[in-house]
Formats: sequence, structure tokens, C-alpha cells
Amino acid sequence: MKILTTVKKVVDVELNIHVKDGAIVEDGLQYVINAWDENAVEAAVQLKENNSAETTLVSIGGGDNTDMIRKCYAMGIENGIHIEDPALANADSSAYAKVLQKVYEKDDYDLIITGKQAQDTDSGQTGIILGEYLGLPCVSNVISIEVMDDQHIKVSRLGDTGTEILEMELPAVVTVSDSINEPRLPAMRGIMMAKKKKINVMDLAALGTSAEEVGAGAPQSEIIEFMKSETRQAGQKFEGDAAQITAQVVNLLATEAKVL
Amino acid sequence: MNPFFMSILLIVGLAIFCRTMYYKLWLLLSLEPAYRFNHILTRLKNVVIIALGQKRLVGRKKEWASGIMHAFIFWGFCVLLIRSLNLYGEGFVKGFQLPFFGEGSILGYLYIALKDIMEAIVLVMAGYAIYRRAIVKPERLHNTWEAYFVLGMIVVLMISDLLIDGTRYNLITHYGNPDHLHFLNNPQYGSEFLWTPVAVGAASLVAWTGEGANTTILTGMFWLHIITQLTFLNFLPLGKHFHVITSLPNVFLKSLDYPHEKARVLDLEDEAAWEDESLGVNHIHQLNWKQGLDIYTCTECGRCKEVCPAFVTDKPLNLYDFNESLKHELLDNADNLIKRGKLSAAKTAFGTLTTSILNTIINKSKLPVTLKAVETDPEQMEDIKARMAALNSKNVLVGDVISEDTLWACTTCRACEEVCPVTIEHVPRIIAMRQGQTLMAEAYPKELNVALKGLERNGNPWGIGYDKRADWADGLGVKTMAEDPNVDYLLWVGCAGSFDDRSKKVSTSLVKILQNACISFAILGVEEKCTGDFARRVGNEMLYQMMAQENIETLNNYKVKKIIAACPHCFNTLKNEYPQMGGNYEVIHHAQFIDGLVKSGRITLNKSFEGSLTYHDPCYLGRYNSVYDEPRSILNSVAKEELKELDRHGRESFCCGAGGGRMWMEETIGKRINVERAEEIVRQQVDNVAVACPFCLTMIEDGMKELGKEETIKTQDICELVAKNMV
Repeated sequence: MKILTTVKKVVDVELNIHVKDGAIVEDGLQYVINAWDENAVEAAVQLKENNSAETTLVSIGGGDNTDMIRKCYAMGIENGIHIEDPALANADSSAYAKVLQKVYEKDDYDLIITGKQAQDTDSGQTGIILGEYLGLPCVSNVISIEVMDDQHIKVSRLGDTGTEILEMELPAVVTVSDSINEPRLPAMRGIMMAKKKKINVMDLAALGTSAEEVGAGAPQSEIIEFMKSETRQAGQKFEGDAAQITAQVVNLLATEAKVL
Repeated sequence: MNPFFMSILLIVGLAIFCRTMYYKLWLLLSLEPAYRFNHILTRLKNVVIIALGQKRLVGRKKEWASGIMHAFIFWGFCVLLIRSLNLYGEGFVKGFQLPFFGEGSILGYLYIALKDIMEAIVLVMAGYAIYRRAIVKPERLHNTWEAYFVLGMIVVLMISDLLIDGTRYNLITHYGNPDHLHFLNNPQYGSEFLWTPVAVGAASLVAWTGEGANTTILTGMFWLHIITQLTFLNFLPLGKHFHVITSLPNVFLKSLDYPHEKARVLDLEDEAAWEDESLGVNHIHQLNWKQGLDIYTCTECGRCKEVCPAFVTDKPLNLYDFNESLKHELLDNADNLIKRGKLSAAKTAFGTLTTSILNTIINKSKLPVTLKAVETDPEQMEDIKARMAALNSKNVLVGDVISEDTLWACTTCRACEEVCPVTIEHVPRIIAMRQGQTLMAEAYPKELNVALKGLERNGNPWGIGYDKRADWADGLGVKTMAEDPNVDYLLWVGCAGSFDDRSKKVSTSLVKILQNACISFAILGVEEKCTGDFARRVGNEMLYQMMAQENIETLNNYKVKKIIAACPHCFNTLKNEYPQMGGNYEVIHHAQFIDGLVKSGRITLNKSFEGSLTYHDPCYLGRYNSVYDEPRSILNSVAKEELKELDRHGRESFCCGAGGGRMWMEETIGKRINVERAEEIVRQQVDNVAVACPFCLTMIEDGMKELGKEETIKTQDICELVAKNMV
């Protein structure tokens, strides 16, 4: 089985994100692998370990992704492709899906695993659009993958009403939830060994496509402005016995909230 | 007596002994190198105080009786060494005396008097030891036939020696037997009989048996003594009594500049090391020879497990068994390890040990040469490597020899090392084995992943954004080094003090104290990262080195000289481990600094703190860095009531359970260590407990919550108590 998995480099959301003039302030930011993609990588590696699959990852844009890809190697991924092209600077989910379609078409993959969404834009579109472009079955929000035979897998997904269990015919696309696994830390031995491993870096031309073909020139969606979300004011804590607290609350409802 | 028989006994006895020792020594030399031959005078001082002076036995109040018992048996044996030489001489020459110990010298008389009384004392002590093992049965001891056998031999040695003298005296005094007329006699000092009351007593016990019987007893006792002594000598290396021979060298070779051997800064760029899987310790041959000597020296006294927080709370870590298991693995593979060692010596021409020792000596002498292993043909080298690999034990240490749970239960608190009478260094071995697990086998507890990832990405185990690190200081008027690099002190806040809500209050109190004392200081703010202590203790040397390198670069950029650390773990790493990587600073813990401020009058404390108070010693402040007095001095300046000590305090304080990376692991086996400690504090009936470490603060406070005592017994850092009681 050949598995293709996708990774995206995103802003570390543990940091305070500052917005200035409708754009994110880059100073002081640091970038990490999208957490859901880490789950996708872990899922691919587990399938490899348990079912002798071959794993390839692809990342798109983001500049120098070498460190991130090497860490995925150290987690157990075997091959890495990085698509870097200035034309992809403002790419949206649709363009990413088109690029991924081209990557898929260059080789015969049986299964594509992506994170269900990325921590930066939270759109959750790329994997699903890719399924559509490829005309392949796609299941999103997957929490387990089980190989049935060379042609079929059984997946569980978190649906609105409970866990849904589906059988899929390969090739197929799945987007995974963070409940699917606990990603391993990159093996330290792997990190050292991965230093020598090659990363296949190519631009759109090398991939056999163009900015126009993937729609990077005219994205179907556009980010107009970033805004900082309002921080909720801290609540008020009342102390004392029930009678004292009631008096305080009533007083505030009358004087501050003016609802009484 | 009988030179021929004596010669035969000595030749056979010593030949077997030398053969055994030669084998044991070769086995040690086949292990990895370690350098322990510097500062000879300090080492000799340690031997005098710890080994000859039996400091850790007689100096331990909790077990003074057994300590004194052991010490006197030991001292008795030391005294009897001279007597033994005299007896061996007697085997060849009648009336043999070592030079200066004859009748012409006061030394001879003083010696026989000392020997005489020591034999009686040793006899009494051996009797007490047998009583203690058979009747009292202390929990920490394993009662084995070996112990009784050795005690039996000691009794035989003492009685036989006293009877040798006793019967000789009878033959001289009652029968004027010319064969035994030699005895010390001098007009100035009197006769031998006056100096040896115990032997005279023994004489009277057997006087009634008559001349013939006395002669027979004398001869019989002489040979019994000699044969027992040679048997004793040959029995020692076979079991736990090997410590009789190895403990003096083991104390001599103990770590000096730090309580135990510091973790080595592994060369992580060495690809061959990754390929050969030689980082950390996964197999018995990867221990160094000093660790091998530690294993030889373990007396199986069980003091280590008695003070171990993991063992006491029913975790599967029993250092006694740990040592035993390693010893078995070492001895079971001895033949192969010795062959392996010889191959290794062939590989490096001089052998790893010799080369490294010589190189260190050359380095110290500042000679412009370095010894290199002789280059040999690469094919031959590969062949040697393959043959060496074939001789490795099939067992991996963690999994086959000791269990994973055993390895990860250790809190690295060093209580075991502090009580070990023969200075065995347990913790570095555990860290090295964790390195093997983490770096090579990828077999560390996966629950550490979150904290390790947090460290890697945001420089703190909580994984909170690094840019929020200085948020606690908002509005406190604290400068960062970036704003003012010319301050006197850098305040190293630590991750807990920066991110943990409870510990942030401690940081705030510390700032208040420093500001009150008008100290010129700054923090690194968002540039500070975890020191890497936690990563190193769980064997993640890669992450530790990453953290250390980044911090050292930042500190050196600001030309930092003096650091006040608000966490004993940071304090220990900055002070003792960063120098290994080029970070040399004068580091002081806040308890020491505040004590200095109080003593120099920079701050004045109201002795106004109400309620009874006790102090919990943090391991990395106390046992790792010997800071015991300063926190106590501060507390006594703050509190109206005198400090109440806990049962386990100072050097034998009990860990809170968070060290060695345990802070970031669940405690699912046995009783919780912090609850055990909290119960001890509750038993002391105090209103307050002071700590000096953010981890201890969390653990003790949680322990109190578990017991429902958090309202009645307040847990606070020393800083908080000082800040509230400053003028």
C-alpha cells in the first residue's frame, strides 16, 4: 500500500497573535507543523508499521520546510516532497487541492491522509476538495483506520450523532481528527539519520503544472482582513454566605446592570 | 610453628585470592573508561573520614547502634592487621615481631593493649550483630547464610586469637614451658600480661585443662586462626563482603566536585555512535569501571531502599535488587566482557581506559601531545567491531535485567547516595540508562511527550507560548536584560515561576524583596528557556543540549556574571551542568541570596510570623548543593516560633516526588509520594510548611489538598514569608 500524507507549516497558536492594519504581525512568530497533520503523519506511520505500507509526505509552500519534513522522517515517513513556488503565495484550499492532485497523479497512491483542518485558517477544505478533484471517496473527521485487504479499509468517523463506521474502497482520501492517535515525538536516532535523507523539492513547473492550472493566480477565496478577537472581561467572584452573596448580586443587578 | 605448613597455606590461600582478584579486576577494566585520579589529597581525606572514620555509619543518629557496631568491627580488623602479620611471621620464626612492635618499644605494648581490648569489643559487636539479625530483624536487611557465616568466622578469629595468647600465657606462667617462653617484657614497661587483661582472662578460662591440653589448644587455635583468616580472605570477593576489600578504593574514587558523576555531554553529532547504538547505557558493557566497582561494593545493607521515596511508596524500585540484578548480569557475562575488553584494547592500541587516563594526565600537565589509538586497517577494525558485538550480552538492561517501571520510578532525589556508607552513585547510572532508553530504544514513557514537545517548541514543559513568559512581571517594574544589560544580577525565573499561577506569586514576592533591597537586577523575559533539567533527567540529552546551548548563547551575549535562580532545578543546572557546555556563571539560589540580604542588613525582617512552621528541603537545593542552613536561618528570622524539623529533614529529607521528570508523569503505582510527605508534615502538627522550590510547592500543596489539610496547613515559599514580613 502506498500512502500519501500532507503536512502544512502553521503559526504556533500557543503564541499571542498580534494584528496590525488587518495583517498578522510576523515579528516574534514561530512556525510548527499543523497538529492535525501530525496526526495524519502518525496514522500513516502506524499503517506502515502494521501493514508494510510505503509512506510519502507532501508539503506546500511556507519557505524552508526542511526541519519539519526531517522530523516527519524521524517519525517514520520514508519520502518527502516539498512544492515551493512563488505563485503559491496566496493559494487557498482549492489551489492546494489542485497541487496535491498533481502530486497524486505523478505516482500511484492507494490512500491519502490529511489533517482535517489547519490550525491557521481552520477551513477544513483541502482534503475534501482533493477527494472531489480526484473523484475518489473521501471521509472526514476520521478517528480510526483499519486495513481490511489490499482494496479496502474500514474507517470510523466522528459524526454529528455518534461514531460512524464506513468501509471504503481504495484509492481513497481520509481527513483525520486529533482523536485518532497521540503523535510520537520524532525519534532522536531518526533525526540524526534523517539529516542525510533527500527531500524532493520542486516548483509547479517541475510538478508538470502551472500557476494558472492550479488556480493560484485567481484564488477562489481571499483573506480580506485579520481581526483580533475580543477578550472577554473577567467575571466577578462573590464571597460570603448565601445571604451576603444574594445581597451583593441583587445590588449589582440594580446598580450596574440596571435590570431590576 | 611450622614453616612448611605455613608456606603451603599461604601459597594456596594467596594464589586463589590473587586469581579471583585478577579476574575481577580484568572485568572492571573491560568496562568503559572513567577518570577518577585527580585531587589525591581530597580523595585521601574522604577515605579517612568516610571509610576509616565510618562517618555515614556512626554519624547517622537514626541507626547509631548498628553504626557503632559496624565501625568497631571495622576498626578492630584494621588493628588486627598488624597482629596477623606477626602471626604469619610466627609460622616461620618463633616469637616473630614486626620491627618497632617488639618488647623494646612502647609501641609494641600500646599495640598489644589496643589489640587485646579491640578483640573483646569486636567479639561483643559480632554477638550484637548476630542478635540483631536473628532477633531484631531490621526490615532493610536480607538475612542470608552468608552474613551468619562471615559473623561466625569473625567470632572464630577473635576467640582463636585470644586463646592463642591465653594458652601461651598459661604455658609460660604455670609450666615454665621453654617452647613458649617468649613474651614481651621490659623493665620500663613491665610484662605483656599487664597490658592484655582480656587475654589474661581467656588464659584463666583454660588454665585448668593442664599443660598438654594448653599446648594442643595453642597449636590448634593458631592454625584455626590462620586457616579461618585465609578462608575469610578468599570468601570476601565471592559475595557482598567484597566490600571489605573494595569500599576503601570505592570511597577514594568517589565523585568529588559534585555529589555524583555528572551526566556526560554526549556527542550527538557522532554518527557512528548512533549507528553503533553506543549512546547512553543499554547493555552491561556500557557501564564504566567505576560503576562496576560500585556494583562490586554494594554491601546489601538496604539503607538506600529505606530512604528511597519510590520504594517507600511501593513503587517497583528497590535499589538493593537493582544492584543485585546488575551484578548478576555483570558476572554472568564476565568471560565475554573480558574477551570484549581485550578486543577493545586491541582496537585502541592502549585500551580505552589506559588511553583516557594517560590523556587526562597529559591534559592536566598541559603537555602539547595527545595519545591516539593506533590506526589499524579499516577492514581489521570492522572485524574487531563485529567480534566485539558478538560478545555483547544478549540482554538489554531495561526490559531483561530491570523493568521499565523500575527505571522510571526514580525521582533522582539522591537520598540513596547520601546514606550509602560506601558512596555508591546510583543516580548517574539511572540517568545513563534513561539516555539509552530515550535516545536509542525510543522506549520512554509516552506521557512525557506533551512536556517534551512543549520544551522543544516554546521552551517550557507546559507548552505555553514563549512570548507569554514575562507576562507575570507586567506592572511590577521589572526590567529585561534587553532593556538594561548592565545590571548586577540576572534573575532566572524558571518555567514554573513564569507560567504556573501559584509559582508566579512566588516570583512576584521575590521581585518585591529584591526591589526592597534595592538590588540591581533584570530578567531575560521571553529570551529565557527551560534550563533543560527535566529533559536531561529523563535521558533526552538532545533536547537538554538544545536548551542549554540556546540559554548559554543568550547569557553569554549579555555577558551575564551573576545569576539568582528562583528554582533549585534551574539553580543546579545553571551552576553545575552549564559549565560542561561553556556557561560559567556565579549562580546563587534565592534562599542563599535572601539570607545574605538579611545578614548584611539590606532587608530587615519583622519576627512577626504567627504559628508553628516547618521546612521541607528540596532535593536539588539540599542534597545536590548542600544548602541547608540558609533557608532555616531565614525562617528563624521571620517566625515567632522556632522552626520545627520534620522527621526526615536535611540530608535525609524526603523528596516531594516531582524530581527526575516525575513532575510530568502520572504516578499510577503505589501510594503518592507527595501524600506520604504531606502526612509526615501533618504528623508534625504545624500550621505552616515552607518550601524553596516550585515543584515542591505544587506537590506539597497538592498533598495537603488530598488530605483535606490545605486550609489548616499553609504551604508557602520562603520568598512569600519574607515578602510578607519585611519592614
